[in-house]
Amino acid sequence: MHPFEELQTTLARRAFLATASHGLGAMALASLLPASSARAADSTLKPKSNNIAGLPHFAPTAKRVLCLFQSEGFSHVDLFDYKPTLTKHHGEEIPPSIKGTQRLTGMTSRQAKYPVVAPLKEGRACGQHGTWISDFLPHTQTIADDICIVKSMHTEAINHDPAITYMNTGNQQPGYASMGAWVNYGLGSENENLPAFIAMVSQGSGKNPGQPIFSRLWGNGFLPSSHQGVGLRPGANPVLYLANPPGTDRDQRRAFLDDLAQLNRQRAAELGDPETLARIAAYEMAYRMQSSVPELTDLTGESAATLEAYGPDVHRPGSYAANCLIARRLLERDVRFVQLFHRGWDQHIAIARQLPNQCRDVDQPTAALLNDLKQRGLLKDTLVLFNTEFGRTVFSQGQLGDPNMGRDHHGRCFTVWLAGGGIRGGMEYGRTDDFCYNIAENPVHLHDLHATVLHCLGIDHERFSFPFRGLDIRLTGVEKARVVKEILV
Amino acid sequence: MSLACPIERSIAACNNALLATTPVLQQFTVQLKMEFLPAPHLSLIAEQFMLRDFVTQSMPRFAIGCGAWLVTAISVTSAADGKLDFGRDIRPILADNCFRCHGPDAKQRQAGLRLDLQEDATKRQESGLIAVVPGDVAKSALIARIMTADKSERMPPADSNKVLSEAQKDLLKRWIQEGAGYAQHWSFIPPQKAPLPTVANQKWVRNEIDRFVLARLEAENLPPSASASTDRRTLIRRLSLDLTGLPPSAEEVEAFVSDVDPKAIERLADRLLKSPHFGERLALDWLDAARYADTNGFSIDGGRNMWLWRDWVIQAFNSNMPYDRFLLEQIAGDHLPNPTPSMLIATGFQRNNMVTHEGGTIPEENLTNYNVDRVKTLGEAVLGLTLACAQCHDHKYDPITQRDYYQLFAFFNSVSDIGLDGNAGKNPRPELQARTVLQSGDQPQVEADLVRLKKLLAHPDPAAVTAWASAQKQELAERGQSLALHPLEVLKVSTPNRGAGWDIESSRYVKITQASDLVAYDVSLKLPTTTTPITGIRVVFHPDDAAPGGGWGYGPSEGPARRQSKTADKKPDLKGNFVLTAFSASADAVAGDQVNLNQLLSVRRVTANSWQDAYPPENCLDPRNENGWSPAVDHEGNVHLTATFKQPIDATQTPYATVQVNFGHGRSQVAARFEMIAITGNDDGSPLPADIITLLEKDTVEKNAAARSPEEIDRLSTYFANHADSTRRVRTNIANLEERLAVLTREFPTMVMDVAAKPRDTFILHRGDYSQPTDKVEPGLPGFLPNLSESVGTNRLALARWIVMRENPLTARVAVNRAWQMLFGVGLVKTSADFGTQGEYPSHPQLLDWLAVDLMDCGWDQKALIRKIVLSATYQQSSAATPELLARDPANRLMARGPRFRLSAELIRDSALKTSGLFVPRVGGPSVNPYTPGDLWREISHYGSTPATAQAFVQDHGEKLYRRSLYTFWKRTAPPPNMTVFDAPNRETCVVARPVTTTPLQALVLLNDVQFVEAARAFAEQMLHRPGGDHERLSWGFEEATSRPPGDGELKVLTAALNRERKRYGANQQLARELLSAGESPRDERLSIVEHAAWAQVAALILNLSETVTRN
Repeated sequence: MHPFEELQTTLARRAFLATASHGLGAMALASLLPASSARAADSTLKPKSNNIAGLPHFAPTAKRVLCLFQSEGFSHVDLFDYKPTLTKHHGEEIPPSIKGTQRLTGMTSRQAKYPVVAPLKEGRACGQHGTWISDFLPHTQTIADDICIVKSMHTEAINHDPAITYMNTGNQQPGYASMGAWVNYGLGSENENLPAFIAMVSQGSGKNPGQPIFSRLWGNGFLPSSHQGVGLRPGANPVLYLANPPGTDRDQRRAFLDDLAQLNRQRAAELGDPETLARIAAYEMAYRMQSSVPELTDLTGESAATLEAYGPDVHRPGSYAANCLIARRLLERDVRFVQLFHRGWDQHIAIARQLPNQCRDVDQPTAALLNDLKQRGLLKDTLVLFNTEFGRTVFSQGQLGDPNMGRDHHGRCFTVWLAGGGIRGGMEYGRTDDFCYNIAENPVHLHDLHATVLHCLGIDHERFSFPFRGLDIRLTGVEKARVVKEILV
Repeated sequence: MSLACPIERSIAACNNALLATTPVLQQFTVQLKMEFLPAPHLSLIAEQFMLRDFVTQSMPRFAIGCGAWLVTAISVTSAADGKLDFGRDIRPILADNCFRCHGPDAKQRQAGLRLDLQEDATKRQESGLIAVVPGDVAKSALIARIMTADKSERMPPADSNKVLSEAQKDLLKRWIQEGAGYAQHWSFIPPQKAPLPTVANQKWVRNEIDRFVLARLEAENLPPSASASTDRRTLIRRLSLDLTGLPPSAEEVEAFVSDVDPKAIERLADRLLKSPHFGERLALDWLDAARYADTNGFSIDGGRNMWLWRDWVIQAFNSNMPYDRFLLEQIAGDHLPNPTPSMLIATGFQRNNMVTHEGGTIPEENLTNYNVDRVKTLGEAVLGLTLACAQCHDHKYDPITQRDYYQLFAFFNSVSDIGLDGNAGKNPRPELQARTVLQSGDQPQVEADLVRLKKLLAHPDPAAVTAWASAQKQELAERGQSLALHPLEVLKVSTPNRGAGWDIESSRYVKITQASDLVAYDVSLKLPTTTTPITGIRVVFHPDDAAPGGGWGYGPSEGPARRQSKTADKKPDLKGNFVLTAFSASADAVAGDQVNLNQLLSVRRVTANSWQDAYPPENCLDPRNENGWSPAVDHEGNVHLTATFKQPIDATQTPYATVQVNFGHGRSQVAARFEMIAITGNDDGSPLPADIITLLEKDTVEKNAAARSPEEIDRLSTYFANHADSTRRVRTNIANLEERLAVLTREFPTMVMDVAAKPRDTFILHRGDYSQPTDKVEPGLPGFLPNLSESVGTNRLALARWIVMRENPLTARVAVNRAWQMLFGVGLVKTSADFGTQGEYPSHPQLLDWLAVDLMDCGWDQKALIRKIVLSATYQQSSAATPELLARDPANRLMARGPRFRLSAELIRDSALKTSGLFVPRVGGPSVNPYTPGDLWREISHYGSTPATAQAFVQDHGEKLYRRSLYTFWKRTAPPPNMTVFDAPNRETCVVARPVTTTPLQALVLLNDVQFVEAARAFAEQMLHRPGGDHERLSWGFEEATSRPPGDGELKVLTAALNRERKRYGANQQLARELLSAGESPRDERLSIVEHAAWAQVAALILNLSETVTRN
């Protein structure tokens, strides 16, 4: 259809809705309100998301994104990127040829020695392709055939604030839009009762309480604020300000909103004020959210088997496990971008004590979530991202043998994994050197990862930009980024 | 309508066709546009037209917020007469499509061709071709390359993702045909006053502004809208909100309506311009631009003290400091001769940047980032230039070289700031101790109020004391009833930033083996298997041989004075002590590693068996490091603290608990050995001190309270005054007033600029990378703009002088544009941060220039500028829009009607406070923490292991709940959620124009945020205190909120709602009581609960009206 004809059709459909039902309440607005309200009223017209023009650029392989963000940099050395060389050279100084002259953080740059530390635990070859995964992650071992492990990630940043901002917004400095906000801006929502981008935070048992995180990681940056991630929290008010004031019930609120709409509509007609009509619709969606959100976070309907699969922590509100289960419920409801932040991977100290706890937090729930999505047919069009901001050093921070010994930040190479819509499961991509210190083969910059995520959603990252400060800003920045086609189906 | 461009014409034609299809559809289309107006949507439609490339280059680049109105807009930036103008019609096309490779950036330049300069574009290239041959389209290689069918040859190249529309190609051809005229970019030429245009409708004109606006309207054949001056109500609302950020009261509205003086409007404007709230209103926009915040921003995001600078800004606007002086002091106040503290405070402007003290970061990298931010802010807020683009390479669109960039950078690189700084609530250096410059005039009143309140507190009502004493006696009698102690099994201990340093003994005791500063221990516990409700948890601290003097802890006994030398005053012979700065606990179905912040147990009461006067047990409920509980050193044996929960724990449902004990006081004030005990039954402790207990129990023995001696009565009264719940409000008020008095009379720290003893050298950084310095540069000014005629050195004063010199073409224009944006919702240049070639061409270039010159002619008088604008007929037009006008000029760029837009986040909250009568008009001072749900800070912060402040949220009380929103504490990593949903930026970086969105989350805030629910309750009280019946009261309330009385239809709806709610609450008074419990302000208890609740619902209805949150 010619774009103009398409617009005309849309216009006509909206006009129909507007009169047929005074359908303001059913009307869409902002990112939180998709244009799919027509579904019930007009089944002949295929509902369309409020995406921006020309999107998707091509057929997507994923409709939604689940980002399981492991905050603070998990140890690729111990968990995924197994190098027997490290065991062989355990305790020896890392060879200068490997270490090179790259910058280190201020935490280890003045160390006298940089002894190699072997992986803290054994691992095993898993799945049909014999993917090595640490025994710290026994449940992840069982999903080896579903995931694609990328071992050659790299970033320029070496400290948390810039690195985590970089991974989540494509820039080390603040002021840029988060990945979820970009996707929300580009593709809009498929659910008329829930926000399109939802973020959840959990504390880790590895490091207490972990590095601080920031609302900018799910923020809108320069995009309109309606694209920012909406925080979902456990408890009576999963979304801030969701609950009616005390002494106010739902029927009363309904009558209140009807009065409000009547007063607003009357005035809007007098003044010719379109903004007011948008506001009426916003109040209606707020009203719907008051029932859709509690319904979403109510886990009482989940079977015992499901709860058991996610592990005991699922019973602790706000835990990573509980958030994983809620994530599945969000994805079932077609929320476009769901992002979990799990803190506590910053094992500078006492890594031997902290890492097992931290792995226990995420291992079982993550595997359960992947299986759950698979069983429900959601994995095929959900892109799952298990990522972090950088890796950790193969050499020790602190003295070898000291129980307080840990590993410092390492941006030169690190590991992430992907699964689901459009990703080839059971494969590994990229290779590091024998000390998993430098990339030996197929480097993947975090911008390449972003480009790949957008690609799976049917978006050409080079053509997806927003005009700001005199530039067409892209999630993938100004340097050339590459879709990692090798990992795609 | 005249449209320069065929595609725009086609859009308009399509729209017209659509409008013409059927009357019904036409009506619907109008409706549709209305529905689509929230920000992103029109731009989305525009993009669905596949016109994005075109639209974004000839129309506003800042295509969000109001920029959503692209589709149907007539081209406001094209000429009415159809003549080509290089700056307006051609340069934007070349800039957007060609300059990236053929522009100012020499490194990126392809084929040696440069199109931004006439000389280069028209000279023969090495290839023998000439890109632009004036007057000869056929010979111009540029045309050949854009027209060719050969895809590999075609410009712009495919991989640029740029496509020239046919219309743009036609324009380029026409331009060459017409002689390929070039002109310098409009904003780089100093502005001049053009002759005032002549207009037909002379009668409409009030001042010069109107001539420019009307001339354009007449050319477009559009009449201006009716003047709102005939609707005085609209006008006073508009002026009050614009100039003070507060709506007028109903009385003020009516007085203005009945004022027959023809000069009434001028008098009104003058009154508002003199209001102390004028400075607050103007400061709001400047705080965004200057990225003002109360925390450091990066990483741990600790607190800083910068409010003295905010006070300075408010004072500067209130005293109408000339704009050149305003900039001069902020950029270089320290370089002025004999700088006053005020001038030094002003330099905080360029210290508002984010700062980090994240461990492990590299100081040089951080310092580079700080200066990058300063240059960026200078560019966007002051010069309207996207200077930041030149950090890594020459600017691709504007003639700013990378050298220019680092020369500007060098001006700021001489400050003595350091790379990692700003921990422990201390300001990143350099800082200054100074008094506020704010002239609030409220000191006498504050002092008088203090005297009055202290007197009140010193003489409590004896009846109240007696009643309190009986209640205390009752509690004492119930002490320890059915008390049972259940030692708890310790499953795990964890602590921030430490992997070791403790042991668990016998699964019961936590033994600290390595004492250190600032540490919280999370103790994961198994609760006893009892069906008896667990009422509280007791933490018992044991003396330990490992502690100094066999004491309870590792810190010096005397406790206080945190964060001083750890060793200097340690006396090993004294008993070691500790300070418990916070206690928190949660219960869960499964064991946790850390206290579950989502399930925190509310503590009703906390007691201890010993404490020092300055360290009472209740301090543990305040999570901050500054205070805490510490036992008296002379106490023998164990000491313990007992927290009783509001809701007991049911261990059958939640068999696990996690308790966090925080020793955040520094100086190793950490306990040595402790255990946790669950209690069932009543705590046997009391929050009362021993002598009060004795006194009260003596009563019990003697059964005769009257037998108390005068000394005893005095002691009880004093204790009551200082501790009872019922006197808390007075105590809070006193504390707030004392703080205010201190603010007005004492010195406080604030961050300033200075010159380091050894200023750092500045280098051009290869690709902007701090680790790749190349050529050394000195501070210097950009070469493409007029330079200073005289040499004034190379410090920041030279920069400041250059910025405010008359020949600087940008400064005054940017200032005028920002004022215009504030008053019309959108600037004359829509891209208010970008006046460069990628920015939007002004809608009224001559008007912008006229006002810019006039501003300078009037000595940079900002109030005069604003006064002129608000007294123009243009500003005073009615904002009612006809469907035709909406379709033709949805964004109102031609100003054929008055502006209308949603109030900003701060103004929405301030208006609700004002209307409800809760508003506290105090100006200036430190930031405050009004209501915020939960502790959103602690959830994401580094609480428990850092001396940084602002890691846990502690709500303020009393007047601090009702201050203007610009005083709300701004934590950058977790800004106030009820303001960010209304598009307030997080203040991480400079923002000169906020987008405007409409979302359901905004509705939730207005409906359910306790701030607004309380405002509705207070507003209801105001209405109930009015004379007359329902109609009179409703009318007054409606007018108080919207500045107009309700119509009959509206009154009917409101009355019906009121009666419905009366019925509802009449049937259930408990619900009424619950609704009225929202907020901390006192309620007039004389009002009927049912009436008050019913009115509160109606008040909420009025406060939620679209009109209430909209500037008409």
